[in-house]
Amino acid sequence: MNIAVCICQVPDLPSSVAVVDGALDLSRVAWVMNPYDEYAVEEAVRLKEQFPGSVVIALAAAPEAGKELLQKALAMGADRAVEVRSLPLQDSFQAAWVLAEAIRNIYGKELPELVLCGRESLDLQNGSVPAMLAGMLGMPFTGPVTALRSDGERLELEREADGGMECIDACYPLVISTEKGLNIPRKTGIRQIMEARKKSLEIISASVPPDPLVRLRSAELVLSRKSCCFAATPAELAGLLHQAGLFKTVQE
Amino acid sequence: MAYYLVFLEQRDGFISNVAVDVWNRVQQEATQSGDKVSGFVAGPLKPTALADLYGNGTIYHASDEALALPSSTVLCRILTTLVAEEACSDIVIGATVTGKRLAPCLAEALHASLLGGCTGGSLQSGLCRRYIYSGLVLAAYQPAAKIRIFLQGREQLRSAFMSPDRPHCVFFDAAPFFVPHDNLFIRSITAGDSRRSIAEANIIVAGGRGMGGKDQFVLLEELASLLGGGVGASRSAVDEGWRPHSDQIGQTGKSVAPDLYIACGISGAVQHLAGLSSARTVVAVNSDPHAPIFDAADYGIVGDVREVIPALIEEVKEVLEKK
Ligand SMILES: Cc1cc2nc3c(=O)[nH]c(=O)nc-3n(C[C@H](O)[C@H](O)[C@H](O)COP(=O)(O)OP(=O)(O)OC[C@H]3O[C@@H](n4cnc5c(N)ncnc54)[C@H](O)[C@@H]3O)c2cc1C
Repeated sequence: MNIAVCICQVPDLPSSVAVVDGALDLSRVAWVMNPYDEYAVEEAVRLKEQFPGSVVIALAAAPEAGKELLQKALAMGADRAVEVRSLPLQDSFQAAWVLAEAIRNIYGKELPELVLCGRESLDLQNGSVPAMLAGMLGMPFTGPVTALRSDGERLELEREADGGMECIDACYPLVISTEKGLNIPRKTGIRQIMEARKKSLEIISASVPPDPLVRLRSAELVLSRKSCCFAATPAELAGLLHQAGLFKTVQE
Repeated sequence: MAYYLVFLEQRDGFISNVAVDVWNRVQQEATQSGDKVSGFVAGPLKPTALADLYGNGTIYHASDEALALPSSTVLCRILTTLVAEEACSDIVIGATVTGKRLAPCLAEALHASLLGGCTGGSLQSGLCRRYIYSGLVLAAYQPAAKIRIFLQGREQLRSAFMSPDRPHCVFFDAAPFFVPHDNLFIRSITAGDSRRSIAEANIIVAGGRGMGGKDQFVLLEELASLLGGGVGASRSAVDEGWRPHSDQIGQTGKSVAPDLYIACGISGAVQHLAGLSSARTVVAVNSDPHAPIFDAADYGIVGDVREVIPALIEEVKEVLEKK
């Protein structure tokens, strides 16, 4: 089975993001693999362990993608790690576009059976790339999944619904986004990282993507701090909330 | 002139609360500007399902039994065609799990600008202000395509729109959109009907590690049911196994927008607060007077949850009885 995993990186500490003159300044950011993508890599590697002979290729479409990101995917067990080099990507549509192009370039006509992505990247939280990528590849999409069982031909998936759980029967090919709870990503030790360093990182260059569909116009830091009104006793608190009309809806 | 298409999500024969809210909000704006509004709903409906929808317009109803649990692939295919045939300029979708899956699929198929999680602002301006980087940055996004898709949650003020007018419902033939070998089949939904999603609750009582254990959440259940609300949790409480992940609030959980949020034994980490940017009133109960949650709270009380919450329950009972 051929499995492609799309990964990206996010700031380790959101507070290291700065805004200068209405534009984002990410120069002081330390990057880590997007936590949701770790579930995707882990699941790919588990499938590879279940179905020997499978090949897992991790793709990172981030202009500033660090070597560490790709090496982490290798250390977790991916067979190949590819940096998709492009101009800065302005929106999810462009990110999905360069990934779709890269997947077509790597796999040719035989698209992978499975493409795994994290549910969303934790920095911007659009959660659009997986579904857009699926559309561009002409593959069905489902997610975010919290359970995946496969017998090699058919898949049984579970995903959260509003206030419940959905069970889905599916078959390949498929694009799946991964949710917390799907697995517990393995920790990578010194040994795995040293071995990953021996593998070569691949780079492919993306063409210039079509115009973005959404543009960032400006950004500002949020410095809002509410002034908290302290109550000395639960009775006082209940009184304050009542006065503020917060129990109104209860009455109705 | 704008032409809005509202996706009316159906669940068990009814329209989801979020979708009703979205519809009425769009109607309100459209009435003022003279814009046109239509709706689309898939799956069988109960007779009273459309009772809460006000205003003019057409609702396209694909009533096929097979669409009771529709896959986003089929919905995407239907809506892409409907939008093209009707020449809609704006599509508005409620930010539920289903809506979030559908919107990017549609954006790709229609080459439309997807704007999600926008706080405030009007549909007309198209400018979308939303929080990014765990709520620490407020960004302004601008649509660059002709068609726009708004994914709206409860970040926006609830609509009180009422009108003597009612939309009229017409049958939509979805048969051409079914493909025989759809490789995704939704087999079942469990617990979907009984428990309301915390994302829709108007009042949320949430507990963190400071609750001290699973059993203590009974207190929060009691307070929540007294207030007609739901119970949420911090990630620590979820990681401890005290609550299911579906109750987690924050960056890696749900974003909520209740009128009242009561945080009990929650420290107030940025990742937790990221889910609260749109909560209107925040109340914090914490034994540590320096807990960061107090910086994000409108009202607070310093104390042990095991003492404060039972006392608060009694006080609230008293207040409610007096009314
Ligand atoms: C990538 C990432 C994503 C994350 N996503 C989320 C998310 O979505 N949601 C989320 O919540 N967190 C998230 N976190 C975790 C977050 O950083 C915090 O660790 C978490 O929110 C802390 O939960 P807590 O407040 O319940 O626990 P703690 O931080 O341990 O705080 C417990 C609080 O309870 C108080 N307390 C203790 N005992 C009592 C008592 N008897 N009475 C009253 N108060 C008491 C303490 O003073 C303390 O303030 C994320 C972290 C990362 C790195």
